[in-house]
Amino acid sequence: MANIFKSDPTEFKPAPDQPAPTSSVGFVAWLRGSLFSSITNSVVTVLIALGLFSVIPDIINWMFISADWSGTSQEACVSDGACWVFVRSWSQQFFYGSYPTDQIWRVNLSLVALFAVIVSSFTLPTSNRLKISIPLFLVLPFACIVLLNGSLVGLEPVSTDLWGGFSLNILMAAAAIIVAFPFSFLWALGRRSDMPLARSICVVFIEFFRGVPVLALFFMGSVMLPLFFAEGTNIDKLVRVWIVLIFFMSGYMAEVFRGGFQAVPSGQYEAADSIGLNFWQKTLLVILPQVIKVSMPNILATFVMLFKNTVFLLIIGIPEVLQLLLTALANSNWLGGHAVEGYVFVGFIFWVSCFSMSLLSKNIEKKLDTSHRN
Amino acid sequence: MFKQKTTEQIKAASRQTDSGSHAFYNNPKYRAIIYQALLIFGVGYFFYAIVSNTLANLESLGIKSGFGFLSNAAGYDVLMTLIPFESTDTYMRVFIVGFLNTILVSFLGIILATILGFIIGIMYFSKNWLIKKVSVFYVETFRNIPLLLQIFFWYSAVLATLPGPRDSLSIGKAVFLNVRGLFIPGFTGQGGSILVYIAVALAIACIFVLRSWAKKRQDTTGQQFPVFNASVALLVGIPFIAALVMGFPFSIDLPVFKGFGFSGGIAVIPELMALTIALSVYTGAFIAEAVRAGIQAVPHGQTEAARSIGLREKRIMSLIVVPQAMRVIVPLLNSEYQSLVKNSTLAAAIAYPDLFNVFIGTALNQTGQAIETIFMAIVVYFAVNMVISFIMNRFNSNIELVGR
Repeated sequence: MANIFKSDPTEFKPAPDQPAPTSSVGFVAWLRGSLFSSITNSVVTVLIALGLFSVIPDIINWMFISADWSGTSQEACVSDGACWVFVRSWSQQFFYGSYPTDQIWRVNLSLVALFAVIVSSFTLPTSNRLKISIPLFLVLPFACIVLLNGSLVGLEPVSTDLWGGFSLNILMAAAAIIVAFPFSFLWALGRRSDMPLARSICVVFIEFFRGVPVLALFFMGSVMLPLFFAEGTNIDKLVRVWIVLIFFMSGYMAEVFRGGFQAVPSGQYEAADSIGLNFWQKTLLVILPQVIKVSMPNILATFVMLFKNTVFLLIIGIPEVLQLLLTALANSNWLGGHAVEGYVFVGFIFWVSCFSMSLLSKNIEKKLDTSHRN
Repeated sequence: MFKQKTTEQIKAASRQTDSGSHAFYNNPKYRAIIYQALLIFGVGYFFYAIVSNTLANLESLGIKSGFGFLSNAAGYDVLMTLIPFESTDTYMRVFIVGFLNTILVSFLGIILATILGFIIGIMYFSKNWLIKKVSVFYVETFRNIPLLLQIFFWYSAVLATLPGPRDSLSIGKAVFLNVRGLFIPGFTGQGGSILVYIAVALAIACIFVLRSWAKKRQDTTGQQFPVFNASVALLVGIPFIAALVMGFPFSIDLPVFKGFGFSGGIAVIPELMALTIALSVYTGAFIAEAVRAGIQAVPHGQTEAARSIGLREKRIMSLIVVPQAMRVIVPLLNSEYQSLVKNSTLAAAIAYPDLFNVFIGTALNQTGQAIETIFMAIVVYFAVNMVISFIMNRFNSNIELVGR
């Protein structure tokens, strides 16, 4: 009785599966299917492969094998490869600008603080995540400014024209998007409002900052903004640029938030109304968390755009990383034509930052996608 | 919207029923009025403060506001002009020169970026692994590097290292590429050329008629007409016949190396080349993403259904997939084109004389009329973007899904 299921000679036993034919699995099959499936396909493959083989070895040779890595001056660049000595000896400039060398820990501390706040907003327990990380985010830009400037906390004062380099690009973009957050939220709310006047003011504002080229905005910040203030008010150039970036960013983010608002089902609004929450309770406690969640990928995409746009600051003479590269290229000790090395290096650091952010955004999107599409 | 209003109304109604009298400030209607009055007051005060401060500042700087400066002589030369320009011409003419240069670079950029973007975007769906990876590599590289950096790269790391005029790269004796730019043959029409231009216009008109006729015939009988091939034939054929009849009334103006440089033909300055290449490569990456997203948005069932009724693969792409994908692609294209126009202001970095550079840059510097120059330039960019948006929206409403 016990082994009746085991050895019933009449029971149907399917034959074991045949292995797949060798022509449809393995490396050769992959080659045949994806590279040489037809005559045109094979020709294209061979052409692309030939093109790559004629270029890639040269590039690798130039970048790594016959490149010069060590040394301190242009004399160290003797081979015909890339002169990475140029990048190395200017690297402090590229990252920190003219910030005093013994004070660089302040820049590093600011960057670490930024990173820590971002990580904390993902890792804190959900129960008090918003309560802690939103205030942290809002305090951060001002704390960084106080730390970098230093005169308020008894450190050696460093004036803003010494700030610069890639760290300035990062901090500028982060400070702009953080302060733009509450503004853009308000603009987006205003655009959805039932009050016609409030709505039209918000629409005009948003469309203005989205429609004007960002370079024109920077010029307005550096040429027109001083005219707007009462005579004698002198506002730091970096602060003016910061204000411009905040407005520019809030225009774009308002549209992102508007999309987020539309994605929240109207049942959520009604449920909040039905338990008697007032407007701000409803918006801040019920709707906003959901809006932030659904618009996270778009917020990141907008941030990447802003981050790339910080390079435009060089047009109005802010020493961000590309401006410093141009300065270095024009330096009389380094007139050896290191343009390609410089552009490759700066391009690479931007590429790494932007690409990792776009990977992160894809990851979040995947996590958020709870629909069961295939 | 409607639902929210009804809940508001229910609330108001319930308030009125549970007790008799209410303070007016609890009535949402009055509240809205009060809020908006406050808002208007705030915004109005803000602008009043700005305007009065600005006027006071301008007065103390000794700048006369107004557009009178537009009729003054500019006094500087512009590197590249599409219309005749001398340094004695007015600021208004500078404005027009800059505007035309902006239109030129935007137009070239949009055309090239679209071609590039569609090719790269469709390459992503190739069965060939290498082609697909080339597409991914292109998009991820050029999308993630700041545009300004790419402009500088093309301008000073690629185009500046080209050989000098004496040993320029050339195709035959017609096209020359060197450090001074690209030199291509120009065409100038003579007496009878007007007829050829009329023939081109006639060919375009014929194509439109042919298209609507072919569509009508397909709708009624189901028979297809090779519209594309016929259009190409018309567009080439009619002007060719006209030219033949008139005995080719064109003279080809070849660039010739003389002394220190080239004369004759059309000279494309390296600034324009660098800007066009960078803009189209950068925007092309975004358009490729849009095309990819559009094609991916078409459900796979559409392809399968098309196969099941026996359409060939080529036909499936052109009749089933692409028309549906266009619904996703066109709105994205709209915003990419607009950002391309806005990004063309980066010309200032390499001194290509676009509107931004010659007007907000030089004219502002010389006259100090910050508000007027920036205002005029901004209006132009808004107008150009509105035109793009209008055209794309018209195009979009043509291909939109007709709701039932």
